[in-house]
Amino acid sequence: MSDRPKQSGLSAWVSGTWAVFEKDLRLELRSRYALNTLLLFVASSLLLVRVGLGMDVLEPAAEAIVLWLLILFAAATGLSRAFVAEEERGTRLLLQLHARPSCVYAGKLLFNVALTLVLNLAATLAFSIVVDVSVASWGLLMLVVVLGALGLAGATTLLSALIARSSNGGALFAILAFPVLVPLLVSAVNATLESFGSGNPTAVEAELRTLFAYAGTVITASTLLFDYVWND
Amino acid sequence: MTSWHVPRVCCAGDNEFESMSKVKLTIKATIAVWMTAVVLGAFLLAIPKMPILEHTARNLYFHVPMWFTLMAALLVSAYQSGKYLRTGNIVHDIRAEQAAWVGVAFGVLGLVTGMLWARFTWYTGTGKWWNNDPKQLMAAVQLLIYGAYFVLRSGFDDERRRARLSGVYNLFAAATVPFLLYILPRQFTSLHPGADGNPAFDEITDPVMRLVLYPAFIGFIALFWWIYDQRVRLALVERALDEQADYAQPTA
Repeated sequence: MSDRPKQSGLSAWVSGTWAVFEKDLRLELRSRYALNTLLLFVASSLLLVRVGLGMDVLEPAAEAIVLWLLILFAAATGLSRAFVAEEERGTRLLLQLHARPSCVYAGKLLFNVALTLVLNLAATLAFSIVVDVSVASWGLLMLVVVLGALGLAGATTLLSALIARSSNGGALFAILAFPVLVPLLVSAVNATLESFGSGNPTAVEAELRTLFAYAGTVITASTLLFDYVWND
Repeated sequence: MTSWHVPRVCCAGDNEFESMSKVKLTIKATIAVWMTAVVLGAFLLAIPKMPILEHTARNLYFHVPMWFTLMAALLVSAYQSGKYLRTGNIVHDIRAEQAAWVGVAFGVLGLVTGMLWARFTWYTGTGKWWNNDPKQLMAAVQLLIYGAYFVLRSGFDDERRRARLSGVYNLFAAATVPFLLYILPRQFTSLHPGADGNPAFDEITDPVMRLVLYPAFIGFIALFWWIYDQRVRLALVERALDEQADYAQPTA
């Protein structure tokens, strides 16, 4: 970073973060590996749900749970890539040399948030069409999906950095992530259920607040702990 | 002829074995006497007979302290993980792991005593063992987190890396647990005292029972410390023996 023009602390941090994000975005757009994995995972498991159901109709509570489990498992297959890819390509050291740890974390987080947003929106839309859900409040559902994406990406970014250093990454990721994601899952399912039913946001105020606070907490904790993982 | 000698263990304070032993021995003897009194009191003191509860009420002395002990273990483990990340002293990692290990043992006991108790009192006639009680779910999640923590640890060969990364996970998971306290009781009803408008613990508990219960809290947490301390020392000795073996054998 030394031969770049001198910038003030914050703007250097922002441009460093953006550079990491842009790099990941370009690599992703080149191969579309993560995106295609996620979308195909959603499509194939949705098809399984539909075929398994036959002509039966799910209870709204079951619909909400299936939707979020689908998102969770898709995230477990796709989001763990963020740091594993650096390890596989052997580019970790380069990134360590060229960017501050907090920039790396924030850039990766940004990329994961974008990826999770696409995943959540696609999964919710496809789910509502294929499983034929009647949604009372799309606004509330979208709010839950966006807040859920923030929390999901926030929690999984640090964990993906953790498992990238381990020899048996893939399976480990789900084991590490699921217990940590229980608060997110419970409140997201509740709020989603409300958006299917009467769609009154004040009825699930506590859930929405929990989702927001959860995202804030996991991102803060990750920021504090990331240095220890990255400089390992 | 091989001569055996206890290896000197680094870092923990070389004097620990000599100078602390007398103090620790006194404390441990006190715990033994204390716990014997608690167990005797738990089974022998007369308690008021309540319908359905009957003598199962004595489970209070064991079930509730298990949870307090799990929470104490959780705090010790998270604190030691944080301390390892700050100092890089491997002893703190060993302490964090052993605290988690003993905490899991107490957590499983708490879960089992609770399931048994609830099956034959609260849910008698239903035949159900699992009823989604918020406290039950929280305990299960905490046990899963420690399960993941141990699996994560077993994935690393390098001691430093294992200590660092599992410490990060331990602290990260600890940050998410308080949310369960807030969100689970909203979705699941509980028969525990003080929840969902149930009478609070001190309204329904006889003074005689408190006479045993409060000492039991102290006793079980002290017992946790005893086992924890023992296991930490064992782990330190094992580690020192491993190191010695590494030096003794020429590397192939």
